[in-house]
Amino acid sequence: MDKTTNKYLISALLIGVIFHGITIFFTLESTYDALIHLFFGNHYADSWFDPWDYSWYTGFTVMGYPPLVHQSIALLSYVGGLKFGMFTVAIIAIILFITGVYRFALVLTSNRQVAGYAALFGVFSSAFAETLHIFGQLPSIIGLSVLMHALPEIYLWLKIGKYKYLLNSLSLLAVTVTSHHVTPIFGMVFFIFPLIGTVLMDVSREKAGSYKEIRFLLFLKTFLSLFRRIVVFGIGSLLLIIICILPYWINTKNNPITQVPIPHGSRDNFLEVTSSGLVFFLIPWGILLFVMPYIWYRFFSKRYLFFGLSITLLTILGTGGTTPFPRMMLGESAFNILTLDRFTLWGSMMALPMFGEFAYRFVEGDLKQKIREKYGGIVHKILGGLLMTGVVFMTFFTMNLGYFRPSQPQKIKMLPILNFLSQDQHDKWRFLPLGFGDQMAWLSAQTKAMTVDGNYHSARRLPELTTRAVERLENSKYRGIEGIGSLQQFLTVPEKYNLKYVFSNDKFYDPILYFCGWQRLRQLENGIMVWEKLNVPPVSTILPKEEVATFQKLMWGLIPIGTVLIAFIINIQLIWIHGLKSRNKTFPVYFKFGIAYNRFNGTVVKSLSIWSVFLIISIGYGSYLFYIKNEKQLSPVNVAKAYYDALDFKEFVRAHSYLDPYSDKTLDQYMLEVSVTDGLLSSYSKLDQIKVHVVAQTDSTAKTQVFTRWITALEAIDKVFYHELVRRNNKWFLKPRAYDLDIPPDQLLAENTTKFYNHGRRRITSEQTYHEDVLKQPVLEVLSAKIIENNNQYMIIGEVQNIDNVPADVVITGTLYDRESKELAKYNVKHQMKHKLIPKEITSFRIDFEGIAWVNHEERKPETFDPDQFTAIDFKETPNTFNLQCAGNVATVDLYKGVVINDLTIQNQQIHGVLFNSGLQEVTIPMLLVSYYNENEELIWVDHQYISEGIRQQRKQYFTHNLMDLSEVCEIDKDMSAVFVNGLSNTVISQKVVPNRISDHRLVPLIPVQGKGFAYVKLEINTYIGAPN
Amino acid sequence: MKIKAVYTIFLFVALLILYVLSAAFTNFLKTEESVTAKLVTKETVFKAGNEIQLTFELNAQVFTELLLHYSYGTVLISSDLLDKPKFSIPEFIVNKKGMVSYTLFYESKNIYQSQFFIEANTTTPVQLESYIGPPSIIAGGNDYTMHVVVPTDTYDNPLPDSTAVILKHQFLDIVNERQVSSKDMLGWEQIFSYEESGQLLLSSQVKETYSKEHAIKVFPAFPEDFTISYMRKHRYADGNQVINFKTSIVNDQYGNSISDGTMVNFIVKNSSGKLLHTQGTIINGSAVAKMLHPDHEDTWEVKAYVYGMGESDKLSLSFAKVLEDFDVNFGKGNREIIVGPLKSFMGQLIPDGAMVKLDIYRGNKKIETKSESSSRGMVRFLLEEGFFGAGNYSFKIGSMGVHKEYDNIVIQ
Repeated sequence: MDKTTNKYLISALLIGVIFHGITIFFTLESTYDALIHLFFGNHYADSWFDPWDYSWYTGFTVMGYPPLVHQSIALLSYVGGLKFGMFTVAIIAIILFITGVYRFALVLTSNRQVAGYAALFGVFSSAFAETLHIFGQLPSIIGLSVLMHALPEIYLWLKIGKYKYLLNSLSLLAVTVTSHHVTPIFGMVFFIFPLIGTVLMDVSREKAGSYKEIRFLLFLKTFLSLFRRIVVFGIGSLLLIIICILPYWINTKNNPITQVPIPHGSRDNFLEVTSSGLVFFLIPWGILLFVMPYIWYRFFSKRYLFFGLSITLLTILGTGGTTPFPRMMLGESAFNILTLDRFTLWGSMMALPMFGEFAYRFVEGDLKQKIREKYGGIVHKILGGLLMTGVVFMTFFTMNLGYFRPSQPQKIKMLPILNFLSQDQHDKWRFLPLGFGDQMAWLSAQTKAMTVDGNYHSARRLPELTTRAVERLENSKYRGIEGIGSLQQFLTVPEKYNLKYVFSNDKFYDPILYFCGWQRLRQLENGIMVWEKLNVPPVSTILPKEEVATFQKLMWGLIPIGTVLIAFIINIQLIWIHGLKSRNKTFPVYFKFGIAYNRFNGTVVKSLSIWSVFLIISIGYGSYLFYIKNEKQLSPVNVAKAYYDALDFKEFVRAHSYLDPYSDKTLDQYMLEVSVTDGLLSSYSKLDQIKVHVVAQTDSTAKTQVFTRWITALEAIDKVFYHELVRRNNKWFLKPRAYDLDIPPDQLLAENTTKFYNHGRRRITSEQTYHEDVLKQPVLEVLSAKIIENNNQYMIIGEVQNIDNVPADVVITGTLYDRESKELAKYNVKHQMKHKLIPKEITSFRIDFEGIAWVNHEERKPETFDPDQFTAIDFKETPNTFNLQCAGNVATVDLYKGVVINDLTIQNQQIHGVLFNSGLQEVTIPMLLVSYYNENEELIWVDHQYISEGIRQQRKQYFTHNLMDLSEVCEIDKDMSAVFVNGLSNTVISQKVVPNRISDHRLVPLIPVQGKGFAYVKLEINTYIGAPN
Repeated sequence: MKIKAVYTIFLFVALLILYVLSAAFTNFLKTEESVTAKLVTKETVFKAGNEIQLTFELNAQVFTELLLHYSYGTVLISSDLLDKPKFSIPEFIVNKKGMVSYTLFYESKNIYQSQFFIEANTTTPVQLESYIGPPSIIAGGNDYTMHVVVPTDTYDNPLPDSTAVILKHQFLDIVNERQVSSKDMLGWEQIFSYEESGQLLLSSQVKETYSKEHAIKVFPAFPEDFTISYMRKHRYADGNQVINFKTSIVNDQYGNSISDGTMVNFIVKNSSGKLLHTQGTIINGSAVAKMLHPDHEDTWEVKAYVYGMGESDKLSLSFAKVLEDFDVNFGKGNREIIVGPLKSFMGQLIPDGAMVKLDIYRGNKKIETKSESSSRGMVRFLLEEGFFGAGNYSFKIGSMGVHKEYDNIVIQ
């Protein structure tokens, strides 16, 4: 036996560890999963044996994910901290992977040089690079690598039958099981079954003399003769899968995943969603695509037949929703739970040995000979250059994908947030990060404060989350109605979750926070805005927890690391010494079955070249289509789309470049106009859909209608824009639009306003409430309140006045009861009120009783994205009476009252009006609160409307409000005896505080209207100021 | 040898049985004796903080223990000396006022039971605990706050009932003092607001001990009726200038001016009967609200309210027309409509931003309304070919309250 060190493997290890080991420091933290594993690692570091974690989702169990990798991070974190643990585990994963590929290739090809090539290309495998540097799936990599390490041992057990090999293989399999549960289960099907087939083939060949002579009967006989070994191994591995992570299976049985599946790109149709096709098909296969014919040719030779079937299955399953087969093969439910990218990963891993073989034959084997003989040395060199260029390009592209298309927000400095949470007992409440990406896991790992959100969606427990396909609340804007809908529920009823603080890293969410009654506390030095909600009780000191049996805790805490220790002791000489420099006197038995590389099949060369040409043409055509579709100024449609795309991403210089260069709109002028526009549409929206309709087109001019749909945290806005376009030098340009010419009357203006400041605690003390500093809750008076019914939906509406002398933040909770006084529903006012009332100010309010969407799985989900959609509670009984709890707390911010109604006309069931901002703050989002009254001047409905443009100081803003048809509305109950303010009876407050109320004043602001079902309306204005100064 | 081993074991077992039996009988015999105790200590009432010792006299020299039951719990103590039943009561019991019952035990048997009392130690310096609430009240004498004082001794024991507590308060020039006797641990007083608003300071005194200072905000009561006035730069309806409405000083019924930040709503009724709406907040007693001049001739009736509580007189004012007429020119095959120049009251060009509205009719049917704001007195409308086919149109053009109609205009 050749005793020299395998230089290819050594190079592969060196290059791999240096290359990946250095780059992970720049990529791993911004991957999707790595920080989640880090968080789990932190859990084990804190409480090794207790599987319950309170940090996320109001508590969850970590028994939902095999613990080996997390526990390894935890162990290493005792040495150098959590991140040290994570990076060390990642480097171990890299080493395991490279050696694993080597050993897998060795058992398949029986050639150390070929295996060395495979290891070398394994380093640059785009699938591996993507899994590590983009997805950060450490457990998956470790699981797969260890599985590949186990394959030679399994082969030897089946072939020779020595118990030593059985022990070796099972010990390695145990490590796989404890690091990733899916890998061994599917690995059994896709890797081990074909390996068993290969062993049977090899044994049959020994009997028959050559592979050609193997017939089915012989194969069956061989199978029966090896049956005992196969069964022993099968039962052994099954027991391992069950026992090593028994608590995981028990937990899965007790808490089955009942949640709505979360959409995943790997299930898309890759031809429709090209970005998913890129990430989940093209990148993982990468350069392997070009040698596909060779790989399939080799795998479908008789020895590897079963691997051929396996890789075919893997390839098909990896195509996701592109073909109907994966759905048919897996069944509807498995298809929706599994992420299919793992099949592509396994497929490309399986192809690596054959790719190594191809490379070997190309670089120094018979293929080289053949090409040189046929086409000459230059062609061979050129082809070699192309192949290497392809490999280098794919690796570069994959590694830097995160740089070109960031999947995560910029790295956030956590220290200011951590300091904030640990100051002044802020960690006694739950918090919610918004726009943090997967960095929320890193935040959670560092603080003892809890969040209602979380980053491991299989562990979610609240029905508000599990019934919706929302991965996290934190990124809910990407999940449409389901996302924003879930988020709105948490923001409207934060008391239920003890949620007091929101850390916002994305101003998209600011409007919904404001209109749900939250207030800005301050901006931390890392730019994160802290929002708080008043009147939220702290988390109770004792929280519910699901206890598990001690034996489970012990198993969970001890077995995984135990498997590593055992495997290490048993296999140490195999992984290190056997891998690098064989100590064995003889070759392993599988070395007998290698083929001689002396006659490269001509047909394969031909099909390889045809396939490559076909691929190159496809890629070229695809790129051409991409160019046509995306070249910005090739057609009126493209330029209009490009313009709105630039506006959406706030790239105003680019947007300006699409404007007619011969118009007098200079960049300076354009930027100035942009800088003065503000509002829901221009500052807080995301372009969701755009359709361009060309109304008329000549060679040089065109007119288009652009139908746009913008998503904001509050509602979806549909807006149509009209554009004229011109063509200059074969490029289309938009003609600039007119801007607001209005000149405000005053250059400099002065105004006196009242400002408030609340010290909090005047004495620096950690006492919970220093009684001298407890302010009295402002007294409110509910002027009217009732249950109404409209279209089978029940609401509580009413009016409330702040009758105190200080501004109040108002929280109103309504409860509906049926005839037997059984509670039916409880909810807070969301945004149909002014949450901040200055002294003597009145607001109307409406409580909608929101249910949890799609609890019933048969209900069809809307296809489109609509944050404004509302799921009413399905009442089993008719509400009969109600209870209203109003709480006032002293408010000191968001008290701007500068917007006035300057003009009104009412015609055709529409109110046209002019708002004027008379004050000193720029109003970003004005909201109209419209109350409807019947002919007896009784309140019957409250409606709201957001105005999509902001109002600058001393400027006007026009609005149109469509009046409603309220002929169906009926009053259910208006008994106000169960209305309470700060826990006191509203009736008593009315009698005692304002006994001489002038009741006629109620009628003063009512505007008479000939309406359907109503006779008067009242307009109130609530304003969100994005940047108070 | 074998037999010897058996005997040894037998002997050993027999000895063991004998020992067990004898031990059992000894115990049984012992309980036959009876122990009695007599209290030597005479006092039954002690002052908090003073040392307390209970001494007993026993008829036999045995080991006893004393079980103490006091208001915070129960504790078992042993005697100071092993042979003498003399018990020192621990400090944490001695310092607390209240009844302490005790039981003397001899081997789980109750041999003496009684109690003693600890009362507040009036000889120590007095400590005060004082509370107030609510921290803000309304002027006028109906609303009140409550001042509660708990005088205690050094050990935090409330002083006995009828301890003299002096409650003081200051408001403006008034400094008031009143003596009450404590009852059920505390002395208290309700302080009703005066007619003026302001700040009430409270303090208390027991013997030589003075409390800290408490502050109560006295807010003004509800607003009474008031008057309003306006201020504007000119009387023209130019749609550009800002008019200010101002209230007189708004007072409550006792003459206090209303709290800063209070909302005053101004309702403006224009000549078409629509209600416009502005608001201001009170600063130093009066509120200012602003509005833009209308862009057409109008008469406003203005009235201000603090809803449910007070209102102003009615104010009437009118705005004069700023524009008498304007020119309209058609061009480019009647596809371009140029309106202007729009001239203001002195003949000057109207400030940029004046709205001109163009209603486009085709065969008595309104097909579109276009609005443009003026620039240098001019407005230009363009009827694009893609949107408006050739044909016969009518136009209605309106600006600043002036309306013009053009029928049967042919667009090419």
